[in-house]
Amino acid sequence: MTKMTPHVALNGVSKYFAGIRALENVDFACNRGTVHAILGENGAGKSTLIKIMAGVLEPSSGEMRLDGTKVEFLSPSQATAAGIVCIFQELSLIPDLTVADNIMIERPPRRFGLIDRRAQRARAEELLARIRCEDVDPDGLVRDLSLSRRQMVEIAKAIGKKPSVLILDEATSALTSRDVQTVYDLLGDLKKENVASLFISHRMHEVDALCDTLSVFRNGMHIETFAKGERTEKEIVRLMIGRDVEAQFPPKPPRKETKPLLEVKNLEWENRLKGIDLNIGEGEILGLGGLDGQGQKELLLALFGVLRGVTGEVKFGGKPGLPGSPAAAKKAETRVALIPEDRKTEGLMLSMPIADNLLAASFADISTGPFIDPQKARTAIKRGIETLQIKSGSTSDAVSTLSGGNQQKVVIAKWLLVSPSVILMNDPTRGIDVGTKQEIYRLMRQLADDGKAILFYSSDYAELIGCSDRVSVLYDGRVVRELEGDDINEESIVSASLNIGERAA
Amino acid sequence: MNRISDANKPIVIASVFVLVILLLGTGYTLATQGTMPLFQPKYLLQQLQTGAFLGICAAGMMMVILLGHIDLSIPWTLTAAAMMASTIGGPWAIPTALAVGLLVGLFNGLGVAYLRIPSMIFTLGVDTVLRGLMVAHTGGFSPKDEATPLMLYLAKGTLLGIPVAIFVWAAVSVVIAGILAKTGFGRSVYATGTREGAAYLSGIRTRRVIIGAFVTSSLCAAIAGVLLAGYSAKAYQGMGNAFLLPSIAAVVLGGTHILGGRGRYVGTLVGVILIVLLNSVLSIMQMPEAYRQIIYGAVIIGMLLVYGRNARITS
Repeated sequence: MTKMTPHVALNGVSKYFAGIRALENVDFACNRGTVHAILGENGAGKSTLIKIMAGVLEPSSGEMRLDGTKVEFLSPSQATAAGIVCIFQELSLIPDLTVADNIMIERPPRRFGLIDRRAQRARAEELLARIRCEDVDPDGLVRDLSLSRRQMVEIAKAIGKKPSVLILDEATSALTSRDVQTVYDLLGDLKKENVASLFISHRMHEVDALCDTLSVFRNGMHIETFAKGERTEKEIVRLMIGRDVEAQFPPKPPRKETKPLLEVKNLEWENRLKGIDLNIGEGEILGLGGLDGQGQKELLLALFGVLRGVTGEVKFGGKPGLPGSPAAAKKAETRVALIPEDRKTEGLMLSMPIADNLLAASFADISTGPFIDPQKARTAIKRGIETLQIKSGSTSDAVSTLSGGNQQKVVIAKWLLVSPSVILMNDPTRGIDVGTKQEIYRLMRQLADDGKAILFYSSDYAELIGCSDRVSVLYDGRVVRELEGDDINEESIVSASLNIGERAA
Repeated sequence: MNRISDANKPIVIASVFVLVILLLGTGYTLATQGTMPLFQPKYLLQQLQTGAFLGICAAGMMMVILLGHIDLSIPWTLTAAAMMASTIGGPWAIPTALAVGLLVGLFNGLGVAYLRIPSMIFTLGVDTVLRGLMVAHTGGFSPKDEATPLMLYLAKGTLLGIPVAIFVWAAVSVVIAGILAKTGFGRSVYATGTREGAAYLSGIRTRRVIIGAFVTSSLCAAIAGVLLAGYSAKAYQGMGNAFLLPSIAAVVLGGTHILGGRGRYVGTLVGVILIVLLNSVLSIMQMPEAYRQIIYGAVIIGMLLVYGRNARITS
């Protein structure tokens, strides 16, 4: 034991999901009495890292040491027993139990083998008081609490386990500013109590204010760890982006003014969309940037007629009004198509044949009266398969037998059969191979050249840069920056995504 | 190749089981009476004639099960249609029955599609309400009105030596099989049953599909009610009670997935024939009612165990 043995140390940890690398050979350490930030783009491996530490996932290779002793967690409860507690992004509370029940759910105080309600209540009150949530009734149902309060209960539950390592994954994103301050104070206290806090946040100013050590991850690798102040924001952003082999993108044609196909003004929905303005012309590809969950998905769904209670001005091809449903969207004068985010649950009927999936949006077009015209159906299927070059055996095979890339091609082909003018795409290349990605990029450009308007969200910055004529970066339900031409680069997108202003770019 | 055998496997198994029942039953009758009624066309046609009621109910039920829903209102939809038909009488008897079916189906469909009440609860409630309405209508007794001549003919008449009821069943089968295989609505039923979210995002009007399926189911029950009232010459309380569970069993034995999305109409036909033959063999054997029920239930559970082990494509 030379200098100091780190409290938690990961040595050569890798994690693969079905052959796809999520973490590769990561060495990572954190010490007691520090607040340690983990930074990285979407998909950089941050979540995988903390899930391994918290016992949710097992590493494919490598080892983890706690105070120098090798540990292997088979479940989150083993990690908790060892003092590693994680507050996950997705809330883990049970809505129909009381606050006190939830806080003590893993180890309720017992008397004669039964839960000691009085002791449980007292302990819950004590923990809630610690995070200044005295207003939360321990006997109230979690269901009745606001999202921010729930997150605080979640934090109380975590502290109740007396952790030596506390992991906060975007734990502040749902909090009100008062609660955020409480969490800051709490982290300060924990630091004094010699607890190691790991903090994942996309808010740079939080990281700046709270953390003393920063680690940057990229593409599943640990890039660098340094103390606060050693690097400027600009350098940090560079580290996060790095230089990677990029896919090839088709050349962009020179920009020209075209007739607007889709105009959106002050679009609002619940508290997820807070006044979005954008417009797309014929033949234009508009990219939506930003971190996950800033309203991109909701925007696309709203334009497709899925959401209820959307307000604001929307014009498709000059005609005002949103479609009332996807069925209306695909039949409107300006036809709209949506390639949804999750092809397995939203894009495809997996166990149904390829042919049925291709035709699912266009039954009306290939039918004579109520009956499907087999001739028209065959022609349509052939057209879909040829346009997208879908590689399949028989079209009567279930679509689940295809590779991910070919499945996504089926989703796209299904919508092209409807001949839409506006195509909305939600992360169309997620989880598919590079070759198919490039085919999809070429297809997008070709569709734009044919006069269609494409609005697409991508979590991959390179893709946004390579494909988009313009990029609108969303942050917290608003467009915070519109980029055009040479301004579309990684620095500007990342800094706009983090909403840290022009100065860092 | 794998897929085809997967989809048809239950149908093949059920068909084999039909043969096994025929052979066992014939073996029994040969041994005890020295005859083989199960291979006499007349006997078989008679069995199919009584099977027509179940077959028509099961055809409608299949549409609903393909959506992953269920229609528990079949017994009293059938009874209500039969009673209203015989009450009205004359040339309007059958249109009245169909109108009852249409109304009940629309109501079920609206409740499930728009109010989002689980179909198991909603249709159960509708069934109870219909029973109450019919008891109020008849005072709790068997109605005195007779079935009309047309109803009698459809249920008991013969055409070219074959009972007319079998023709009605065949016509319903052709329509249902045609809808499922050859229309946009039919394909939408499969799509919605496989994954409603994906179907909705493909621009399929899933709520209309759900309503359409429930209407089909209730219409089939109404047609079965017309036939059954004709067969017994009149409508009576509880006449539909014997059809609910067998119709669900026939659909599922025929390989339709109880959670929706998969199944072929041929399978439902085989399932109905299986149940009808099983019943008739058990009655030829003069099996006491108690044992009949036990064997009947055990067969259904046993067959589902066999299917359940292969068919799980859902992700």
